[in-house]
Amino acid sequence: MAVATLETATKELNQQIGLPTDGSQYLTFQLGDELYGVDILRVQEIKGYTTVTKIPNTPPHIKGVLNLRGTIVPIVELRTKFGMPTIDYTMFTVIVVVVVRDRIMGLVVDSVSDVLNINKKDIQAPPEFGAKVDVSVLIGIGKSGDKLVALLNIDRLLTEDEQQQESAVANA
Amino acid sequence: MSNDFSQFQDAFFEEAAEHLAVVEEGLLALEQHPEDLDLLNKIFRSAHSIKGTSGMFGFNAVAQFTHKMETLLDLLRNGQKAVTPVIADLLLRSTDCLKTLIDAAKTGSSVDDVTVQRLTEELAASQNASGSQSMPQGNGPSKIKPASAGPELYSYAIAWAPPDWLFQRGLDPQQIFKELADIGTLSQVTVDATKLPELATMDPEKCYLSWRMKFETAKDRQVVDAVFEFVREDSVLTITEEVQGKELEVRGEESPSFVTPDGTESKPKPLGELLVESGVVSRETLNKALSQQKRVGEILVEQHAATPQQISQALQKQQDNAAHAKKGTETASIRVDTDKIDKLINLVGELVITQSMLSDLGSRFEINQLPVLLERMAQLEGNTREIQERVMSIRMLPIGTAFSRFPRLIRDLSANAGKKIQLVLSGEETELDKTVIESIGDPLTHLVRNSADHGLEPPDERLDNNKPELGTIRLNAFHEGGNICITVEDDGRGLNRDKILAKAVKQGLIAENEKLSDDQIWPLIFKPGFSTAEKVTDVSGRGVGMDVVKRNIEGLGGTVKIKTALGKGTVFTLKLPLTLAITEGMTVRVGTETYIVPLLSILESIQPKAGAMKTVVGKGELINVRETYLPMIRMYEVFALQPEYTDPTKAILLILETEGERVAVMVDEILGQQQVVIKSMEKNFRKVDGIAGATILGDGTVGFILDIRGLLEIARRGVAA
Amino acid sequence: MSKTALVVDDSPTMRQMVAFTLTNAGFTVVEAEHGKDAVAKVAGGPPMDIVVTDLNMPEMDGISLIKELRKMAAFKFTPILMLTTESAADKKQAGKEAGATGWIVKPFNPDLILKIIAKVLPT
Repeated sequence: MAVATLETATKELNQQIGLPTDGSQYLTFQLGDELYGVDILRVQEIKGYTTVTKIPNTPPHIKGVLNLRGTIVPIVELRTKFGMPTIDYTMFTVIVVVVVRDRIMGLVVDSVSDVLNINKKDIQAPPEFGAKVDVSVLIGIGKSGDKLVALLNIDRLLTEDEQQQESAVANA
Repeated sequence: MSNDFSQFQDAFFEEAAEHLAVVEEGLLALEQHPEDLDLLNKIFRSAHSIKGTSGMFGFNAVAQFTHKMETLLDLLRNGQKAVTPVIADLLLRSTDCLKTLIDAAKTGSSVDDVTVQRLTEELAASQNASGSQSMPQGNGPSKIKPASAGPELYSYAIAWAPPDWLFQRGLDPQQIFKELADIGTLSQVTVDATKLPELATMDPEKCYLSWRMKFETAKDRQVVDAVFEFVREDSVLTITEEVQGKELEVRGEESPSFVTPDGTESKPKPLGELLVESGVVSRETLNKALSQQKRVGEILVEQHAATPQQISQALQKQQDNAAHAKKGTETASIRVDTDKIDKLINLVGELVITQSMLSDLGSRFEINQLPVLLERMAQLEGNTREIQERVMSIRMLPIGTAFSRFPRLIRDLSANAGKKIQLVLSGEETELDKTVIESIGDPLTHLVRNSADHGLEPPDERLDNNKPELGTIRLNAFHEGGNICITVEDDGRGLNRDKILAKAVKQGLIAENEKLSDDQIWPLIFKPGFSTAEKVTDVSGRGVGMDVVKRNIEGLGGTVKIKTALGKGTVFTLKLPLTLAITEGMTVRVGTETYIVPLLSILESIQPKAGAMKTVVGKGELINVRETYLPMIRMYEVFALQPEYTDPTKAILLILETEGERVAVMVDEILGQQQVVIKSMEKNFRKVDGIAGATILGDGTVGFILDIRGLLEIARRGVAA
Repeated sequence: MSKTALVVDDSPTMRQMVAFTLTNAGFTVVEAEHGKDAVAKVAGGPPMDIVVTDLNMPEMDGISLIKELRKMAAFKFTPILMLTTESAADKKQAGKEAGATGWIVKPFNPDLILKIIAKVLPT
């Protein structure tokens, strides 16, 4: 319900400021020299990087857990998840807190960029080959001005871990 | 917020459960004291409340069934019928049935209609008195309105002489005039003051006046009658309708009673009804059409689009889903004494004061005020701790609610097993967390059944052993430290050492000539598949249960201990944390990581001497603790951490117990003991092996609470691999 | 100043439902669990604008409560409504004799409560 209200509010706001209303807004962020985007309605907040507690026996991209005002939030390092080399964290390193189904998760990214409005017609299907990341976690490639943004399907991106876990249990 | 009562449904179900418990307990007590009128009144009131309130939510099946019970109860309490064992039993079975009806209203679960019908008949038969037994339903057939278009104006001549004690019932003639004026036009009002006495003899609290009125309204006659509802029966009232010059007199008493506004009124009418009303089709045509109307499923089957099986499966699924959806939206609620809330509000008030004193101090702080600051900080700490305790206490309920099911259980068990059993309850007022109470019901039930089935001997055997024929099962609860202890005690035959040993050898749980102490033998009955019952009954003896009991209790962070004496009886002692939200833990360090070990599972901590360790193939590392070799787990290995020490003689070993098994866990350092609030890892992530949950540490970071059983399993997998 | 109401019922659900309806309608509500509780809560206090009471209650039932209230100067002319069921006709008569102003028949909905209260509330 809250999402729906936000959606309506966003649409109204867009109308007021003259933005097209038939597209969606994406929060974009940097990983290396690539630009990625997630649906802004899925973003709960953005916070600076703070130390996390490592969870034993979890894959390397699960950075650990964080205390977010009393809630235990798992943190995923996107670089590791996408098989990119890790870098030292800087003052720009942030955690993008997103809502995936009913869960809250944090994504560590190099830095956040803009909020872009991307029309549906400007989103192309992800390329079959040549992309740095597994195309199944992409909605598509969005174009905004001269920028190309890899739009992430975070539901698929972040539920994969559980499925792996479940199949591991099933095999045990 | 919508102005209806649906939001009170949860409260109703909770209250209904309490009333059901009162009814059941009351009926059980009534069997012993059939003459107890107070008891009958109490039972009646509870049944009455269920009936009244369930009707409010439209749970008609519940209301009607309770009405039947209530009618019988009323006869009992008026002394028109005597409480016989047959009637008490009927009422008890009806209570069970009522329970399922209420559950059905709550979750959409199915109801055994046959049972409901049979009990309804039995209840009716037992009343064998004439008089109204049917529950009044709705408003009866609705009045057919004249088929005229636009609103018609009726005019009435009203003559009203109220009773002289009108005012003494809080009634006021002005109210009547006002209400009439609200629904129409009072064109003429004349007062008849002839009955007014001399001022000297007049009683100012009496009404001596009467009135004649001319009144026009578009409303139905019923609405006009309703205005006089509370005075009609005691007044001299005539309301005369003047239609086209003719006067049609109708006496007030004959008019239908007050119209109850019906919730269904606002519902849209079915299409067919509208068509009939507007004259498009006749009622016969509509009924014919309706009788031909088929369900989607039937049509699909006819068109061979689906098989009847597929349809019935889909329908089943639809029902399941509906039941499911209802369950999903069910919210847990808890009733709290206003007293507890008031105290909490006072405490928050104190907290606010302390906080404002602190911020005041902070805004102009000088170092010489340090003692004041420290004092205020101590005050803040005190406030916080007290609020924490009070908030926790909100979730605390007396354990009596978990005990209340046992009188009935014992009654049924003793009847089935042909044993004479008395149940003695004590410590029912002992409080513990609602969640814990809800989770211990089943384990406790199993222990009580076990005592009744296996513990207590049949009457003749008891008499042969110079014991009273009547066996006793005691349930007791008390607080001990930060825990609650619950004991289930019987004065039966006690555990048989030899039988248990023989069985354990047969089951391959122990070796033939293994030397075991009593304390090692008794826990064998908690092993999966273990059962010494010679006769398998429907309640126990199938070897499932005792292991489940132990697992459930340990799942709650508790322990089960056994004390037994042959021929004298057995005591099971459950020790449980008071709450699941907070646990007492030992904080330990491994490298830079902090972990919390539940205090309840820690037996001791030691620093081993060199040479106390040995490695056994297939069993991993063992450590000699007072001549017993325990498996040793290096926590840093299991959790892949960077420890400070890899040499056990420099590190600390915690001796922990899980499910009767002892294990030594190696950590770098013990940091201290503290209460931690347990947070779920599953909520946003998933279950992590070896970790029971997370908590927020003093510095705001997350710490993990150890799951010892899980840790042991990971270590075993490591050894096996 | 808002109007005041005394709501007496041993069933917390029922009591809350009536209190909720009245609170929404702008009343300040005093709740009591049974007759004795009600008497204790209003004795010596300010008068109430209206009383709504259940009949079947422990400690002190509704009929006795109505009698007690009518003895108090502050409640001599206060409208008192009883919550009854359709089947309890004898109760209705006993209530009237004790001094009840009127009755609300269960099951009721918020509109009905407010309608009946409007009927008896002093202007």
